[in-house]
Amino acid sequence: MPRVALFDPCYMAALRPGDADHARHVLRALGDEVTLIDGRCCGQPAYNSGFRGEAKSAGRELLRTAQPHATVVTASGSCTSMVQHYLPGLFAGERGAGAQSIANRFVEFTAYVAAHPNLDRLGLKLDGMVAYHDACHARRELGLTERALGLLARVRGLEVRRLAYEDECCGFGGAFSVKLPDVSVAMMTAKLDDVRGTGARVLVSGDFSCLAHLESGARGMGIAIETWTIAELLSRALE
Amino acid sequence: MSGFRERAAHEIRTASPAATVTPIMRKLVDDSAAMLGRGPGDARQRAAAARAYAIDHLEELHAQIKGSFERRGIGYHLAATPEEAVDTVKRLLGSAKRVPKSKSMVAEEIGLTHALRAAGIDVLETDIGEYIVDIEGRGPSHITAPALHLNRARIRDLLARGGADLPDDDPERLSRFVRDAVGAFFQDCDAAITGSNLLIASSGRIGIVENEGNVSLGVSHPKLHIVVTGYEKVVADEAAAFAVLEMLAPSATAQPLTAFTHFLAGPAKGQQRHVVFVDNGRSRIAKEARYRELLKCIRCGACMNACPVYRAAGGLSYGSPYMGPVGAVLSPLLWPDGRYADLPFASSLCGRCSEICPVGIPLHRMLLDLRADAVSNGQVAGRIERAGWQAWALMFTGAPVARAATAMARLSLRGAGRMVRPHGDGDDPRLLPEPTPPRDPAMLWGAASGPPQLPSPTATATGDETATQELVELFRARAIQLGVEVVEKVRKQKGDRMLKATAAIASTGSVLLTGEATARRPLLAASRVVLEVGAKTIVRYPSDLASRLGDGEALILTGASRTADIEKQIVRGIHGAEALVVVLKK
Repeated sequence: MPRVALFDPCYMAALRPGDADHARHVLRALGDEVTLIDGRCCGQPAYNSGFRGEAKSAGRELLRTAQPHATVVTASGSCTSMVQHYLPGLFAGERGAGAQSIANRFVEFTAYVAAHPNLDRLGLKLDGMVAYHDACHARRELGLTERALGLLARVRGLEVRRLAYEDECCGFGGAFSVKLPDVSVAMMTAKLDDVRGTGARVLVSGDFSCLAHLESGARGMGIAIETWTIAELLSRALE
Repeated sequence: MSGFRERAAHEIRTASPAATVTPIMRKLVDDSAAMLGRGPGDARQRAAAARAYAIDHLEELHAQIKGSFERRGIGYHLAATPEEAVDTVKRLLGSAKRVPKSKSMVAEEIGLTHALRAAGIDVLETDIGEYIVDIEGRGPSHITAPALHLNRARIRDLLARGGADLPDDDPERLSRFVRDAVGAFFQDCDAAITGSNLLIASSGRIGIVENEGNVSLGVSHPKLHIVVTGYEKVVADEAAAFAVLEMLAPSATAQPLTAFTHFLAGPAKGQQRHVVFVDNGRSRIAKEARYRELLKCIRCGACMNACPVYRAAGGLSYGSPYMGPVGAVLSPLLWPDGRYADLPFASSLCGRCSEICPVGIPLHRMLLDLRADAVSNGQVAGRIERAGWQAWALMFTGAPVARAATAMARLSLRGAGRMVRPHGDGDDPRLLPEPTPPRDPAMLWGAASGPPQLPSPTATATGDETATQELVELFRARAIQLGVEVVEKVRKQKGDRMLKATAAIASTGSVLLTGEATARRPLLAASRVVLEVGAKTIVRYPSDLASRLGDGEALILTGASRTADIEKQIVRGIHGAEALVVVLKK
C-alpha cells in the first residue's frame, strides 16, 4: 500500500475545509495510505508580494514537514509550482540542493491521480455537465492541461465543456486580487462570461484559489454556479 | 501619489478598455499564432539565438558597426543619457526647423519630440497613430498601435481640434486625412527622424519596418536622416536580422512582413545619415544577470497583446512609454528611481507573456524579482504591510500548531475578503465564498437554456499550408492574399513604376528590390507599382534572402502601404500606391 502525504494548502482549511477529505477519499480509493499535512504554506503569498525572507520562513517549515515523505500530493497546481520552481531558489548552496530534492517529491493532485497505477480500478461515474477551468500555473508551469482533461474524461456520464478562452487568467493572482481590485474584477468578469458561455453551471479546476475568486464574483453578481475542485468531483464520482 | 492602481481604476471606470481591447487582442493573438505557423519551424529559436548573441556581444558589435558605418559614411553616435541623446539630435539638426518624425519607442523614452519642440523646432509625428495621440496629449497606449485606446468618433473629434472638417468618422477617411497632412509636411521640411528595428554590425545596414510609407519618406529625405535607436538593437549579420524579422511582424500585427522592410545602406548623394544609439541604462542592465535577457526584446508587443491585465487596464494605466508586461519590467529598470516601482505588481503572474514572447524572455519571473527588489530597497510596501507579512510568516513557522494556524489563516483570509470591498469604492462585486456551500444536484444539468458549446480554441484550422506546394504557387497565393495582383503579362499604364525584382519570398508574398530600384520617393509617387519577378528567384522564407541582399540598399515590399491605426481596420494605400502588380516571368 503506497504511503503518501497529502498537502492541503494553507488557504484551503479556511476557504473550503471539506476539500482535504475529498482528496483523501480519492487517494484511499486508489489504495494509498494518507498522512495529512496542513497548517503549512509554500510561501507563495509572501513571495509574490516581494517578501522573500518571509516566504522562505514559511516555505522552510513546509519542506521540513514534507521531508520524511517520499511523495507529497498537493491539492493545488499553484502551490506545487511554487515549491518546485521558486522555493528552492531561496536557499543557497547545499541547502538549495536539499530543498530542491524535497521539492521534487511534490506532485499535483490531478497529475498524481492521472498517473496512479490503480487508476483503472477506480469506478468513476457522475451524470452531468461541468466546465473545466485551466489554472495558469498548472497550465504553464506544470503543463497539466491534458492530464487534467484526460482524467475528467474517465468519469462516465460526465460531459466536460471547455472554455472558449481557456488560456486566459481569471484575475485572481493572490495579493493581486486585493491590491488591484478593479483590474482583477475586470478579468474575473471576462472569465465568468466565458463560463456562462459554456452552458455548464458547475465549474471544476485543480486549483481552488481561482475557483474561490470566481465564486466570490459569481456570488456577488448573482450568477448561479457551483465551483468544485477536481478532488471533489472525483470523490463524488466514486459514490 | 497616483500609481498603476489609481490610473487603472480610473481607466476601467471611465473608458472600460477591455470592451474594445479584448476582442481585438483575442483575434490578434490567434492570427499571430496562425501567421507564425506559416513560417519556418525553428524561427523562434533562431530569433532568440540572434538576440542572445547580440546582448552577449554588445560592445564587440558596437565596435564593429562603428567601423561599418564609417565605411558607408553613416555617423555613429552613442548617448549615455536621454539628455545627451536629445542634445546630439539637436546638434545634428543644426538649423533645421521643420522635422517630420516617425514612430520610435526610444524617442518616447527620451522625450525627444517634447524636447525638440521646447527648442523651437516644429516636429510632426508622421505615423498615423502617433499623429492622433500627439493631439490627444496622453501618449501612446500600445507600442505598435499607439491609438488603440481611441475609437473612430473620438479620433474625429481630436482631428477636428487640429482644424479638420470631416463629414464622418470612417477610418479610411480619417487615415487619409492624416496621410495628406503628413504628406504636405514632408514636401517642405529640413530633415527627418526615424527609429530603427535592427542595426546590422557586419554590414552597417539599418533595418526598419513600417506599413504606412512615412518611414520611406523620412529615410529618403534629400538632406538629413537621423535614426534614434536603442543601444541593444544591434544584430551580428543579415542572417540574424532575418531571424528577427521572421518573428517581428507576425508577433506584432499578424502580418507576414510589414509592407516595407528597409535595409538602408550609406546616405544618398547630398544626404547625411546619422544613427544616435541611446544607452540610458542598457549597458547597466546588460550586466545584471537577472534582467539582462530583457535586452533581447524586439518590441513586437506580443506580451501586451496577450496580457489580461493590459487588456483590462489599457496601456495608459502604466503611465510609462513602455506598457504591458515588457513595460512593467523595462520601466523600473530604465528609471530605477522608484517612479515605476509599482508596475511589476501590475500582473497576476499568469505567465502568458513569457509563453508568447518570440525571443523567450522570462517576463513573469523578472516581475517577481523586481517585486523583491522594490520591497528590499523600500520603494513599495509601507510599515503596516511589512509588519503584516512578518506576522504572516510567524503563523506558518515554529511549533506545528496546525489548528491555531488554520484558525488564523481563516481569520486573515476573511479579513482580506472584507478588505477587497472598500478598495473597490463599494462597487467591487466580490463576496467571500462560503466554506461549506450547499451542493444542488440540479446544477450538473447545466443552464436551463444553455447556449451551444463553442468550438474549442485549440481546434483552429491549420491553415492552407500544404508543405509540398510549389514555391511559385505559394508565392502567388500569399501575394494575392495581401491584395497584390499577380499576372503573366501587363499592359503599361500612365503613372506606372516598373521595377525588376531581385527575388521574392513565397511564404510571405513579398518582393525584394535592391540598388536603384529601392528609390523610395518615385516608388511612393507612382499610381501603380509593377514588379517583375523571375520564377526562379522565389525563395521560401525571408531568411533565405540573407545571402541575396547584395551590399547596398535593399527594400522588401509586402503588399501595398497600409495602416491599421484606427480600430485595427486596415486601410490600404497610405503613402504609396494602393495597386501592386507582380508580373511572374518563367
